[in-house]
Amino acid sequence: MSTTSLYILMCSGEHEKIQMAAMAAAVAAVSERPVEVFISMNAVKFFQKNPAGNRYSGGEFSKLLLDKKAPDPIDLFKQGKMLGELKLYACSMAMDVAGLELDDFVDDLIDSAGGLTKFLSDAETGQLVVF
Amino acid sequence: MVAKTTIDMRGAFCPGPLMELIANLKLVEIGDEIEVLSTDKGSAMDIPEWVKKVKHETVSIEQIGDIWHIVVKKMK
Repeated sequence: MSTTSLYILMCSGEHEKIQMAAMAAAVAAVSERPVEVFISMNAVKFFQKNPAGNRYSGGEFSKLLLDKKAPDPIDLFKQGKMLGELKLYACSMAMDVAGLELDDFVDDLIDSAGGLTKFLSDAETGQLVVF
Repeated sequence: MVAKTTIDMRGAFCPGPLMELIANLKLVEIGDEIEVLSTDKGSAMDIPEWVKKVKHETVSIEQIGDIWHIVVKKMK
């Protein structure tokens, strides 16, 4: 595939930012663009099966997204994986700090734990965006 | 004979109608058409753009009242 790959680095747990990252990842993947997502810092909490507290933390726009029933970010990532070339990696450092294992994440979503060095190295060949 | 199916995505927000179209395109034969009903203006712009990029065909796009009718033909 000749299209430049898209690399998405997620560190915020804010619903709005995760929504935007999920939209970008899903749309790029279904547009025949390979996508890799690296999930770190507070963003890892969003993807837990049983997050402590509210999964959808954020401001006014988070409420609007929920009220209007915008597509759920987890569903968007799953659709992107199913319909395109999309891989998600959970930051091993953030997992260690938060005491998380791969089994703690939503099923059929995270491909593996990963390191930042490898992700950034891979991202040199594509376009990197941060949420 | 060309088969035509309709998917009703009225009330769904971007990129819901596009994702549903793509999922349905996997299920039909080359040459078949899918009509997407959408109330999302962004999708009315985005769906033809995606269709062009991945080399399917936008057969027609029409706004009737608040509803967009976007007909896409599977080309590959």
